[in-house]
Amino acid sequence: MVFHKRRWLVRRLFFNHEQIRTMSRVKRRTTHPPYWHVLKNNQRTDEKISSDNLRFVQEVIQDKYKNKSPIKGSDLDIEKTEWDPKTKRSGVIARNIGVQHMWEKDGKKVICTVLHVLDNHVIRYVPPEEYAKSVIGAKMFKNRKPLGCLVVGAEASNPERFTRQYCSLFDEVGLLPKKRLARFIVTPNAALPPCTPLTAGHFVIGQAVDVYGKTIDYGFQGVVKRWGFKGGPASHGTTKFHRRGGTIGTGRDKARVWPGQKMPGHMGSERRFNRGLKIVRINMKYNIIYVKGTVPGPTNSIVQIFDTALPRRKFTEAPPHPTYFPPEDGTLPQEDIWDSSLHVFGSPSISV
Amino acid sequence: MLRRAVLQTFRQGLAQSFFKRYAVSLTETTVTHQPIETSDEAGERTVPTQKTGDESGNTVVVAPPEFRFIYPEFLPDPAMERRNRLREKLERMDMLQRRSVIEIPEFYTGSIMAVTVADANSPNKFARFVGICIQRGGSGLRAWFILRNVVDKQGVEILYEMYCPLIQKIEVLRLERRLDESLLYLRDALPEYSTFPMDMEPERRLNNSVVPINPLKVKLRPRPWLERWERQNLQGVEDLNLPQRFYDRAEKVAKPWEKYDLMLHYRKTIPAEEQEKIFAEVHSQLQQQELKRKLRRRRGSDNEY
Repeated sequence: MVFHKRRWLVRRLFFNHEQIRTMSRVKRRTTHPPYWHVLKNNQRTDEKISSDNLRFVQEVIQDKYKNKSPIKGSDLDIEKTEWDPKTKRSGVIARNIGVQHMWEKDGKKVICTVLHVLDNHVIRYVPPEEYAKSVIGAKMFKNRKPLGCLVVGAEASNPERFTRQYCSLFDEVGLLPKKRLARFIVTPNAALPPCTPLTAGHFVIGQAVDVYGKTIDYGFQGVVKRWGFKGGPASHGTTKFHRRGGTIGTGRDKARVWPGQKMPGHMGSERRFNRGLKIVRINMKYNIIYVKGTVPGPTNSIVQIFDTALPRRKFTEAPPHPTYFPPEDGTLPQEDIWDSSLHVFGSPSISV
Repeated sequence: MLRRAVLQTFRQGLAQSFFKRYAVSLTETTVTHQPIETSDEAGERTVPTQKTGDESGNTVVVAPPEFRFIYPEFLPDPAMERRNRLREKLERMDMLQRRSVIEIPEFYTGSIMAVTVADANSPNKFARFVGICIQRGGSGLRAWFILRNVVDKQGVEILYEMYCPLIQKIEVLRLERRLDESLLYLRDALPEYSTFPMDMEPERRLNNSVVPINPLKVKLRPRPWLERWERQNLQGVEDLNLPQRFYDRAEKVAKPWEKYDLMLHYRKTIPAEEQEKIFAEVHSQLQQQELKRKLRRRRGSDNEY
């Protein structure tokens, strides 16, 4: 834990002022969604509905979203697409439910993050030509060949909390509205039809994944915590200079404060990717993935998991493409799959 | 050598009833396992509590109340920001798996234990250490305890993680408690209070139902000390014989209102209803493991004759 902090605090001696000046003008956080999103949460206060009418509303909801049978691989009309090393598969929305310590076969302790894959369903697929016309798509594929986009939703909840426009996004698929939506960039051969479930079996033991999350929100923080400044002496007569920044510029050169000068401000709640994390254990029964290392964000926050972008850790063999479907002959898959490097808890103690 | 004080079994009202062994067989009823939920809200959905003696005739598992002293690491870390029911449940399943391989006996701070660990650098690949448990902590798979001993006039403390697979065997040579929950003051005490022979044999317990409390009062070395022991309200230490200004300063610095702060204690502990649920979940498996071990021990002793 202490080592992590040390790496953060290493300051570069010569930093590129040009880069900092451009980055300091980029808006890093917003509290509102983009203008093209529909209004999501119900703005109305609790109306005084009679209990009969409330029951009627709930009956209507139940009728509308009747339980669907799980989709088998053969039902879907996916053309038998081949996997090739340039394929980009869909990602998955999960919740970071905490950290568990495990041990490797030589007795070394390993910190693993437990990620709970929520009830992901594909909402729709946007083909490359259409996606390149959208705001984000145009920026992303300015000088590149466009790729398709899969809209995936997770965590179904009561339609009463959402607006009608938001629920209409799920009407085509006939699913209960999801609390969280995400877009995953995929190649056309990895496209999935709507209503396809994504589970923990989508990933392979031993593969590397990238996890995107929003870091822990520390709020308004001073310069010592935010940038790792040393502050001033705690005693020896120091007057009101214990955790302050000190000088913010030279007198002569440029004669002003440079943009990007490190000062107190809002810390945390930023988009970050932790890349190349190895999957060491998958629990198919509870849809849980154990990943070696830590993940951005606090416990119980939502993260997105992708196949890694690091070139030397990509797939060499075909993964479940385009996604994992349980075997059709009814045989249950292995419930708890462990990586070969980990010590399984039920096995005998390690003797070196 | 140290003149060992006669062990008295302190009868402390409530505490004694908690350590009564097997008295709760009266409250136990037949086991009905709750169906394991496979949906995503498995962790978030609360298990419906059913009272014993329901009209519908449902039976419910109740673990003995002493479980929270014998297996304190099954209770999760109370900090609300990091709690998640599903992860805690999975961690408990892993803990039970590990306990099925190795016996982790009941012990308290003040018990003398011997731990055998696989060590690549030892001549016979296993290292055995005997010591008194001065502190225990952690929850789940991170549970740990510290053993202290004085070897060749050098005080040695080793922190062991209870669920580490390198540990081959944990034996309790003498099961007893002391007057304090943490015996860190042994670092500033005379060395004979921390010395225990490395070839100590396990002692047989006189009374199986009550864990004895050793009322030993330890003598400390003259100052300087590692901590300000006069500020910590220690029961197991002899009179410190300090000048009055130390005690005056301790009074000024003390926070006597903390014992009335209900919310502080609530935030530091797991509520009783949740504790019952947690132990009811693991109760049957732990009992089965204990029975198997007893049978194995009995068969082993029979084979000797």
